[in-house]
Amino acid sequence: MKLGRQLLLLIVMALLVAGCGKSGPEMDGKRKVLHIFQFKVEIAEAMEGLKAEFEKEHPDIKLDIQTVGGGSDYGASLRSKFASGEEPDIFNIGGFTEMEMWQEYLEDLSDEPWVKDVKEIAKEPMTKDGRLYGQPMNLEGYGFIYNKDLFEKAGIKEKPVTLSGLREAAEKLKAAGITPFSNGYQEWFVLGNHNVNAAFANQKDPAEFIQGLTDGKYKFADDPIFKQWMELLDLTLEYGNPNPLTTDYNTQVTMFASGETAMLQQGNWTQVQLDGINPDLNLGILPMPVDDTAEDNDKLFVGVPNNWVIYKDSPVKEEAKEFLNWLVTSETGKKYITKEFQFIPALDSIPGTEEDLGALGMEVLNYTDAGKALTWNWFRFPNGMAPEIASSIQAYIGGKIGKQEMLKQFQMNWDNLSVE
Amino acid sequence: MRRRSESGRIQQLVFVGPSTIFFILIVAVPFFLGLYYAFTDWNGISRQVDGVGLRNFAHVFTKDPAFLNSFWFTAKFTVLGVLLTNVVGFALAYFLTKRLYTRNVMRTVFFMPHVIGGLLLGFIWQFIFVRGFASIGGATGWSFFKLPWLGTEATSFWAIVIVFVWQNAGYLMVIYISAINNVPKNLIEAAKVDGAGRGQVLRNVIVPLVMPAVTVCLFLAISWSFKLFDLNLSLTKGGPFKSTESVALNIYNEAFNISRFGMGSAKAIIFFIIVALISILQVRATKSREVEL
Repeated sequence: MKLGRQLLLLIVMALLVAGCGKSGPEMDGKRKVLHIFQFKVEIAEAMEGLKAEFEKEHPDIKLDIQTVGGGSDYGASLRSKFASGEEPDIFNIGGFTEMEMWQEYLEDLSDEPWVKDVKEIAKEPMTKDGRLYGQPMNLEGYGFIYNKDLFEKAGIKEKPVTLSGLREAAEKLKAAGITPFSNGYQEWFVLGNHNVNAAFANQKDPAEFIQGLTDGKYKFADDPIFKQWMELLDLTLEYGNPNPLTTDYNTQVTMFASGETAMLQQGNWTQVQLDGINPDLNLGILPMPVDDTAEDNDKLFVGVPNNWVIYKDSPVKEEAKEFLNWLVTSETGKKYITKEFQFIPALDSIPGTEEDLGALGMEVLNYTDAGKALTWNWFRFPNGMAPEIASSIQAYIGGKIGKQEMLKQFQMNWDNLSVE
Repeated sequence: MRRRSESGRIQQLVFVGPSTIFFILIVAVPFFLGLYYAFTDWNGISRQVDGVGLRNFAHVFTKDPAFLNSFWFTAKFTVLGVLLTNVVGFALAYFLTKRLYTRNVMRTVFFMPHVIGGLLLGFIWQFIFVRGFASIGGATGWSFFKLPWLGTEATSFWAIVIVFVWQNAGYLMVIYISAINNVPKNLIEAAKVDGAGRGQVLRNVIVPLVMPAVTVCLFLAISWSFKLFDLNLSLTKGGPFKSTESVALNIYNEAFNISRFGMGSAKAIIFFIIVALISILQVRATKSREVEL
């Protein structure tokens, strides 16, 4: 038995030793290796080109870029990287709640040279106690994408920016034989992130409202803006395609691109798919109004989907900072952001053109620069809240529950999930 | 004598040692770690872990109806899943112990689904339910195939039951086949001579004598259906409206999507206690009905 114990001890020790380690930078010949772990599959190929350019200018650094796609898969892989002691030097996370979760691992980037150029709306999600912990990757914006030609055909002269204006427009479209809305309500993010955000973003102070929900100061059932938001939801259902609950993203986009429907609740990221189906569409983005005051409602929802962050205890921290700085200040980096990644830049120092960004991206950038942008608030939700909201709304759309019950479910899930 | 016990020890070490080590590393250590985390507020990422006493357990019972719902779903599923896999498995075994021309081929065919992983099965069947059934329905006009499969609570529930039975009945069939083959032929012949019909032979001779196999099969089926996870994840992801979320899936979401590792561990402990209780009761109940020759 003594031997058995020794053997056991040996194996446990071996596993422990294998688990720790890694002190000092990893070297590849004479070059320091910089590990980047990112989740945007769309730019994986362009990242290879970027890597070649960066290494040419920095002969002493080698980039090792890993891409793991898809929301929850990325989160789980990142966690297992940290659990197994293979922390990447640069990785991606979302703002607010997710930043709080990772904050103790994040390097403070407030003193980097590019910080002064970051647009205000893009700073907030990664800011804590006045310090900035990440570089926003890009901006994205959404609303109702609309087909300008179909609107003209239906005789709509003015761009509707109020709830009743939108109703009139929908009425005219319907009369002209066009289905007004493409509702892809099978997708949880369409409802639980984007649609319900209209009710949060239109609060006087969304951050305070969300904190108040957690503290019990506010209730969903008492909130006037949630009542108005439900009217907007009803409007899209009344004038939408049949079977919204079995319509997924692709179907929703296809119906719109083929001219069957005139409006689509999506954002500038949809440009690529739309161009793939019908490049000749004449497109714009409408706001999602919750009442009848034009000046409050003529706004798009703009936010930062993702941020670059640096691991605080990385042995190649300075090199990592150099990379992020190079990405947004060098001509090559800027060119990659707008032309290769086709991102709406989150920094004022990087200009965007319609040729690179497309009509939708340009519309979002113009709204942002005019200060007519509302925030993305699902990043502030308790973890796991957005899918719960989506299933309650789906149950409402399916006629399983009423409006009051839907708000009650929001409240119940919020109370459950806001406990850390 | 001394020498003998020495070699016995070495034998034990060689044969049981490696599996003991892996059991400790893979089962025992994580179990006790989980027990520890159940009393903390760890989020799965932070270096900071604070004890919170019994708060997680209180929270699960007072503020999280989805967890109780998932128990209800799992209970319903277990009753049907256990019953149907055993009935189908036994029926297959009964017919495939007859002198059938194709019985070896058939045995292989029925066993095969068990070899494919549940995750993959789920994706394949998702395709069958959504696309395959729809086109069969279109071609034949049978209303069964025209149902909104995976679109409503009832069809999603039955979809999981159907795939589960299809996957596991073959495995139980193999156990039942060996049990039925072990029933002494002379007893069956004696019963026939006494004038027993087929049904009577099945009921009064075969079934009592395969009771040990029933114990094993019930035990397996209960533990499989209670721990339902991969099939659930790939076939319905718990939808629609979270109506088909099994306990295991609920725990996984809690720990990895909601990032409350402590809460997830607490749920896992509760789940462990319940499964352990049910298993003990079930083994006791069936043991007492076994017949020894």
